[in-house]
Amino acid sequence: MSQFLQFLFIGLGNGAVYAMIGMGLVAIYRATGLLNFAQGEMAMFATFFVWTLDDVGLPLWLAVIGGMVGGGVVGALTYQVVVRPVGDPHQKPLAVVIVTVGLFLAFNALAQLIWGTDQRPLDPLFGTGELQLGSTYIAWQKLGALAVLGIEAALFYVLFMKTKLGLSMRAVASNPESSGLCGVPVSRILLFGWALASAVGAVAGAFMAPNSAVDANLMQVPLIFAFAAITLGGFDSFVGAVVGGLAIGVLTDVVPKYVGFVEKMPTAPAFLAILVVLLIRPQGLFGSTRVVRV
Amino acid sequence: MSTTAAPGVPARLLRAAPWVALVVVLVVLPQVLQPYWVNRVTGWIPLAIAALGLNLLTGYNGQISVGHGALYGLGAYATALVVNEWDWPFLAAIAVGAVVCFGAGVVIGLPALRIKGLYLALVTLAVATLFPQLVEQFSDTTGGTTGLAVTSLQEYRGRMRERSVKFEPPEWTGLAADQWRYYLFLALAAVCFVIVANIVSSRVGRSLVAIRDNEVAAEVSGVNVAATKVFTFGISAALAGVGGGLLALYNARVSSGSFTLAVSLYFLVAVVLGGPATTLGPALGAVLYGLFKDVVEAEVLPEAWKPASPLLLGALLVVTVLVAPGGIVGTTRQVRARFTARRLRGTTPP
Repeated sequence: MSQFLQFLFIGLGNGAVYAMIGMGLVAIYRATGLLNFAQGEMAMFATFFVWTLDDVGLPLWLAVIGGMVGGGVVGALTYQVVVRPVGDPHQKPLAVVIVTVGLFLAFNALAQLIWGTDQRPLDPLFGTGELQLGSTYIAWQKLGALAVLGIEAALFYVLFMKTKLGLSMRAVASNPESSGLCGVPVSRILLFGWALASAVGAVAGAFMAPNSAVDANLMQVPLIFAFAAITLGGFDSFVGAVVGGLAIGVLTDVVPKYVGFVEKMPTAPAFLAILVVLLIRPQGLFGSTRVVRV
Repeated sequence: MSTTAAPGVPARLLRAAPWVALVVVLVVLPQVLQPYWVNRVTGWIPLAIAALGLNLLTGYNGQISVGHGALYGLGAYATALVVNEWDWPFLAAIAVGAVVCFGAGVVIGLPALRIKGLYLALVTLAVATLFPQLVEQFSDTTGGTTGLAVTSLQEYRGRMRERSVKFEPPEWTGLAADQWRYYLFLALAAVCFVIVANIVSSRVGRSLVAIRDNEVAAEVSGVNVAATKVFTFGISAALAGVGGGLLALYNARVSSGSFTLAVSLYFLVAVVLGGPATTLGPALGAVLYGLFKDVVEAEVLPEAWKPASPLLLGALLVVTVLVAPGGIVGTTRQVRARFTARRLRGTTPP
């Protein structure tokens, strides 16, 4: 039992990271109707900023904030230079997939070019200590990830529901043309959406990196988990991203411990989750149903 | 198609000329190139076949797959295992790989009936990342990351032994081994190419395009959407499998590292650069990718800049989609059509 609890908290802690990436994906999906395949690579890029700032001697938490700023700038530039000219993703899904695939390749290569192919260690934000509950040991890092996720979710809620900026973002997501006519600066709102999504990636990366190390492939598998998370939760729901992320974290960390057959296939449960959800309930747990008119 | 007798003939010849030239170039190539380059060019053919298959699915039918690298890998492992375990002839082994992949394609294609566009891309992306892990999981059979040598029984120093597969040219051809292998690969590619060209120009081909452009309209017009989509996925997967099988025989080795997500992405690069929904586009794209990999990256780029090569590819991809969404073939056609229109406007009175 205590072992199960231990696995459970590792799963929840990792799930919090998937939820953070998922929230970035949802932010972009809601704003532009686009599944950003380069999201993980952008987060990896931002994590390298964190590493660099940490390496020059800044305290880690300050480095993470710096990474968020850097990541935000990268996200905004990406939107402005590459994504905006492509046009509406609903009209041309192939073009959009290709562009984000191109970004995926480009960011991965660029990171290797700038920072090399070495594995760069990054200390955990919440240290290496553990909380002892009876015979169960839970790393502070995992609890910290959950706490940060909670703060992030609260900030997202306040931003989207209680501020004028959030109102504009929701308006643009629901109908860009009408909101443009009402005086919402659509392009600038979308730019902000991309910057936000990318900035969140820095935090996710900073939590992911201590599990292994910072390198160009850091976020490829977590991205799949994040996709599974938002598929489960619903592509356009922040609540869904959080719930889905935690569920996928538990699923991918607990199941392989007990099912020998998939021990070397960490993404297998996530893959099955994506497939089953899309087949049975394509809108996910909390997503809104899309009605297509012929 | 003009079918008038006498004046039609030269026009027809004229139209056939580029094709004849292409065939001549492809046939003469291994006679003039160094063996090293013959081997390199041969290595581009598996990619071209897989891109051909992906183009059928994504270019013509509009189903986006980011997971064809997995099917490529499946074909490679199936072929390798058949050659290793049963000592079947290469062509039969490749056929087995193609059949296995057809089955896998149908299995992926069935959920694809409900999952469309971006979501299909998402599912296939997950397939692409799952495949190398699957190879690891069954490393007893597949050799995992170390890989699996593809061997056949060969006579060596008077005894039959298991040795890495080789393509021995028959005496009468008078060809070197590298040239013989090139011609075999090229012949198989030509067969695949003709099959796809025939599918595309047939009734099925027109339904593919109809489904891509408007699924509901296609269904109303009497196209069996479900059957057509699943069939396309199967054929496309089978072609990826043939490509993978050739790759396994080409390298005489399969390993999980050859079938990562990046491979799936490179297929997309080939299709998009060459020209989606065109017959020759994907082959052209594969050649460009090959030139990029073996000439630009291997010979031109300085050592420190090597990791930058996917960056160049990615940038090229983005620029292509933004500036010339028809790829090389599509854009050339567009430009030519514009010139023709201008010329006609000049000659004929309004």
